[in-house]
Amino acid sequence: MPPLIEARDLTKKYGSHLALDRASFVVEPGRIVGLIGPNGTGKTTALRAILGLSSYEGELRVLGRDPFRERADLMRDACFIADVAVLPAWLRVDHAIDFVAGVHPRFRRDRALALLEKTEVKPGHRMRQLSKGMKTQVHLALTMAIDARLFVLDEPTLGLDLLSRRRFYDALVNDYMDETRTILITTHQVEEVENLLTDVMFIDKGRIVLDASLEAIAARYAAVAVNSDRLDAARAEKPFYERRTLGKTVLYFEQPNIETLAGFGEVHTPSISDLFVAKLSIGAA
Amino acid sequence: MNKYSMLLRREFWENKAIWIIPAAIGGVLVLGTLFGRVHIDTVASPAQVRAVAKAVLFGLSILFFIMMSIYAGWYTLDCLYADRKDRSILFWKSMPVSDTETVLSKLLMAVIVIPLVYFLIADVTLLLMSFIISIRLSDLVGGGFWYADNWLQLQAAWVYLIVTVAIWYLPFTAWLLLISALVRRAVVLWSILPPLAVMLAEHWFFGSRVLLTLLSNRSIGYPAAAFHDVNGSMWETTPLGTQSGDGKIELPRSIWTLIDPLAFLSSPGTWIGLAVGAAMIFAAIQLRQRRTEL
Repeated sequence: MPPLIEARDLTKKYGSHLALDRASFVVEPGRIVGLIGPNGTGKTTALRAILGLSSYEGELRVLGRDPFRERADLMRDACFIADVAVLPAWLRVDHAIDFVAGVHPRFRRDRALALLEKTEVKPGHRMRQLSKGMKTQVHLALTMAIDARLFVLDEPTLGLDLLSRRRFYDALVNDYMDETRTILITTHQVEEVENLLTDVMFIDKGRIVLDASLEAIAARYAAVAVNSDRLDAARAEKPFYERRTLGKTVLYFEQPNIETLAGFGEVHTPSISDLFVAKLSIGAA
Repeated sequence: MNKYSMLLRREFWENKAIWIIPAAIGGVLVLGTLFGRVHIDTVASPAQVRAVAKAVLFGLSILFFIMMSIYAGWYTLDCLYADRKDRSILFWKSMPVSDTETVLSKLLMAVIVIPLVYFLIADVTLLLMSFIISIRLSDLVGGGFWYADNWLQLQAAWVYLIVTVAIWYLPFTAWLLLISALVRRAVVLWSILPPLAVMLAEHWFFGSRVLLTLLSNRSIGYPAAAFHDVNGSMWETTPLGTQSGDGKIELPRSIWTLIDPLAFLSSPGTWIGLAVGAAMIFAAIQLRQRRTEL
């Protein structure tokens, strides 16, 4: 199967500012990919380009199409929630369903209604009457009822309380994801999506600094917490980052010799958030 | 087909004023006719009644048409801007609807659908009013409000006006659409100030008035382009009675002798306007594609 998204030297300039700087990456079908980066480093810019919402330089194919020129066609097979709360205040829930049913050939009304049944939202409600969490539920129901191959989410839980966030991700994983679909999700709250993802891409200053599956990360990176007396010996193994915690120092290694490391302390695979901090800190140095 | 009718329905959901404003005007007129106090003690001739009936039908229709033009202008200026202002554009753009389809659906609303709504409501209002007047003043007016030719003329006038105004004033409509797709705030000011600034600059630097002449010719050139010049006037003086003291009334001439579709279609001004309008609509579509937020 060809890749779902293929970007080569994707570049976007705003005046003299490089929001995307020759970013190249590939997203394969059936994955849940997290595009992770600090605010203002090109995450949203990359998504906007992928969704055909902005022009760009470089090569980009999404589902075999040029997203900017063929956005309307692309949206038959791809759907997105770009930020929460973009459903207009005047729109009624039943009208929103009618609208998507009218313009989208892959929308299944029964599915949307079934998803809404589980919420407290009533068909006669207008968006302005709904809380942010409820609006997100409506948007998610509308979007998950579309038989799309690619689902893109840009900071989907921004401004939601903890309960709404948990519900959001539960619905996404339990009611939506299967092997025919691909989800691309951006967030700056890594912890929240960590258990969900199959792949991560770190983006910093418009460049992709890491693009790997979780298995590959487990095989490639290791961290070990070292007592101060063995620190110098451990440092000789060339960690790329270190961090002090509770009297120990955690050292991060790329392609390490696990047996050697085991001699310094307990070896573990770094969490995505730790790896993110580690990767971006060396980038900043 | 369903897709395009849905795009139009969506506009009605968002802009309830499309029918609320004309319905309110119609309601006030009908209620006024129903409960208004009448005090007429002169006996009118059938010719007088017929003239007054025609004046009522056409006069109120013109009122509806003027209200419609103002509202449609405001609608056009707001339609693309509103989506960006409340960021709902991010929802609309997640649907398989191209920017061309979106912009054209809004244009169609402004120049055809909204005028048709006003036409329909004006007609219903006038039918109800004629009915009420015929009953309340049956001694006085008799069947004076029910000349078929008057009603046919009214329908023809509406249809002819809607189509020719849509074409003739397309450059203005397209300009409003362009501003609606372009600016970040103050749509009304942006729609007025740049042309004004160009006019002033032109006058200061070159001492000429090319733009002013162009715009004013377009603004006031419509009747001459779409109608026969009947002795220089579209209005005729109708005597209200047989004696000179009975007074006179100015009425539009018969629509059948007034309209001149062939001249309208063969006038270069019509086609130049269409071309200029089409170019600006194309630009508005390009902007809609690129401008996602304010």
